[in-house]
Amino acid sequence: MKSVRLWFKKSGLAIYISHLDMNRCMTRAVRRAEIPLWYTEGFNPHPYMTFLMPLPLGQTGEREPLDIRIEEDMPFEEIKSRLNSVMPEGIEIVDVCEPVNKPNEIAAAEYNIEVGFLSDGEAEGFAAGAAAVIDGGVLNAEKRSKRGIKTVNLCEMVRSFECVSVGTSVKIKTVLAAGNSVNLNAELLMNALFAEFAAEPESFSVIRTKLLREDSSVFA
Amino acid sequence: MYPRKIEKFLTKVQKPGRYTGGELNSIVKDKSKIDIRYAFCFPDTYEIGMSHLGMKILYSLVNAREDAWCERVFAPWVDMEQVMRENNIPLYALESGDALTEFDILGFTMQYELSNTNVLNMLDLAGIPVKSCDRKELTPIVIAGGTCVCNSEPMAEFFDITLPGDGEEVTNELIDLLKEYKAKGASKQEFLVAAAQIKGVYVPSLYDVEYNDDCTVKSVTPTCGAPEKVEKRNVADLDSMFAPESFVVPFLEVVHDRTTVEIFRGCIRGCRFCQAGFLNRPIREKSPETVEAQCRAICKNTGYDEISLCSLSTSDYKGLEKLIRNMLPWTVEEKINIALPSLRADNFPKELMEQLNAVRRSGLTFAPEAGTQRLRDVINKNITEEEVLSTARQAFSGGWTAVKLYFMIGLPTETEEDIQGIADLAQAVVDEYYKNENKPKGKSVAVSISVASLVPKPFTPFQWEPQDKPEVLIDKQNYLISCVKTRKVNVSRHVPWTSFLEGVFSRGDRRLGKVIETAWRKGCRFDGWEEHLDREKWMQSFEECGIDPFFYTARRREYDEVLPWDHMDYGVTKSFLIKENQKAHKGETTACCREKCAGCGAAKLNGGVCDEIR
Repeated sequence: MKSVRLWFKKSGLAIYISHLDMNRCMTRAVRRAEIPLWYTEGFNPHPYMTFLMPLPLGQTGEREPLDIRIEEDMPFEEIKSRLNSVMPEGIEIVDVCEPVNKPNEIAAAEYNIEVGFLSDGEAEGFAAGAAAVIDGGVLNAEKRSKRGIKTVNLCEMVRSFECVSVGTSVKIKTVLAAGNSVNLNAELLMNALFAEFAAEPESFSVIRTKLLREDSSVFA
Repeated sequence: MYPRKIEKFLTKVQKPGRYTGGELNSIVKDKSKIDIRYAFCFPDTYEIGMSHLGMKILYSLVNAREDAWCERVFAPWVDMEQVMRENNIPLYALESGDALTEFDILGFTMQYELSNTNVLNMLDLAGIPVKSCDRKELTPIVIAGGTCVCNSEPMAEFFDITLPGDGEEVTNELIDLLKEYKAKGASKQEFLVAAAQIKGVYVPSLYDVEYNDDCTVKSVTPTCGAPEKVEKRNVADLDSMFAPESFVVPFLEVVHDRTTVEIFRGCIRGCRFCQAGFLNRPIREKSPETVEAQCRAICKNTGYDEISLCSLSTSDYKGLEKLIRNMLPWTVEEKINIALPSLRADNFPKELMEQLNAVRRSGLTFAPEAGTQRLRDVINKNITEEEVLSTARQAFSGGWTAVKLYFMIGLPTETEEDIQGIADLAQAVVDEYYKNENKPKGKSVAVSISVASLVPKPFTPFQWEPQDKPEVLIDKQNYLISCVKTRKVNVSRHVPWTSFLEGVFSRGDRRLGKVIETAWRKGCRFDGWEEHLDREKWMQSFEECGIDPFFYTARRREYDEVLPWDHMDYGVTKSFLIKENQKAHKGETTACCREKCAGCGAAKLNGGVCDEIR
């Protein structure tokens, strides 16, 4: 048995696949690719497969990790090409490697966010306002967790936030806390900012570009 | 690909995956090279439609043609419908995102009477007039197939064409004809008149219906050379019949998400309430080799880890043991589970049963259907209490602790004693568990009984029978619950109002078209969903249209009455059904087709060949 870390890109139509559905989708892809998957040995055997950092519905992921276990060795390049030949539209394996870091080393994630408005003025206003709020260090929002709903200061989970307006759109590059203990969904942050300024954007997209460790090095 | 306009709403609705398309194995073609665009429309949600085998077959079949492109359309859930109506987004097909108005054929599958309003709603969401007579152009032609078109009369105003029987061959013939008529610029009427000449095509508008003063049908008269009797289409050879090698693999969890392969059509059992058993005669089997090859291909192309062998009565498949022996080695190796729905465990080798359960264990169900032997004889369910108990015994000794039993109430000649019998039989199964000496320690047994209400259906021996009114069914359900004395037996029941509406439309006539339209305009849709069925709106609609719904359900019909579906020919003769009805009232059974041919008449559809007549 051997652990393998797959890195996939999820974009286009595939962003509407929920995390639970992703699990099923990937299991089937691995079966179609005839990769010798290792199955758990319980009463109800199922393939070992772990998404390290589930991507929220509607967001694009450039490089998302997925750990699987295989029964017999297979070259990484072959795993990659076999999988890519059976993947549905919108999901692509970009890399296959041995796991380097432990899953709990994920501490943050970098996002590119684009918000479209009807006019240049609206975009400029929102960009300036959003930057000021994050700089100010206080943006309270209700956050749902397993223990119920509580109000938290989102700014405490924002590691960096760059925001510019280009024409009618606002482009944001941000690093947010991610992982098992502290995690901030980019959509939650943006909805809080929209609410703060009563902004009604025409379009809104979130791309998660990479996952980072505590020291800001790239999770591998 | 969904229309751009809808993108910003996708994260606002439940399960956006229902509306995006782009699933594995979905087929996108270059529409500039296509002559006929076919939209396969399923009048219910994505999750239900994507579980339907007929859609998978026709999707592959039409897409196997170079000149045609078949796409999928499902009824949007109410949240999405609201988004679409508010933003003027017409109903679109999942592959191209194009509105239904751009299609040549809209093919609905009618599996269930309560999807009628969804058909109207889907047409309307696409901006297409719901009535056939208001659609003046040749295309889109609105057609329908599936079980319910054995009586299309209630929907006759809305469908241009219905296709009773097997769809595999007639679909291609209809596409060929439309391609020809479209190319020569023919009118819709010209096309319909020509289509009516194809075997297995029914064009409702070419038949005039007259009524008697008591509202029963007086006569049905064909016009424009349409046939007097529309014979259902029958595919003779299942081995050479088109079958898909690949399924579209949904991202969402759907109801049946697995490899499904038919093993035979028809049924040898002759249960008198079962419409499918009569509609799909004669018996035609697929060879085990063909079944196995199809299973392998679909598993390989989809990655599914479960195979369901589909038929009306799996145990009756002659090649079953051979098929399972051949399939077990590779399915176990690839960790694929084989499900055998409706298997009678008593005549199946125990050792094979154990191997089948090696991968994953599935649930155990029986369908005694009635609580006493007398009533089981009336409905011709040839299964004895001892058979149920011995199977349960075998299952319990194999480690099972949960059993499901299916029953019906509202059966002809039913008395309180028969309902008491349901509770008694469930209790006997519980007792059987405690007689087992090797039962797991500290584990209790769970027997669930599911009680449906009989809806007498066309082309069954019960087509003349009155249906119990909802109040009566509720009383009977309550009586059953009062008879159950143990918590080890759990009773689940159906909503009798659903069965009531099913009953109205399954044996209805053309006068119901306006009721369906009225109810839909009042907002009725997804009537098969308990939370959406609006009883008040339906009753108001019947009243406004001056129609007594109980005329269709509560009345015993005479044998010589002209039934609204009498001009459809499903092979089984009316005289055979009358004989079966009379035997039912005398409590006499009819042997299954394998023991003795009962002479139902269906073999004539197949050139006299029925796989059971030797």
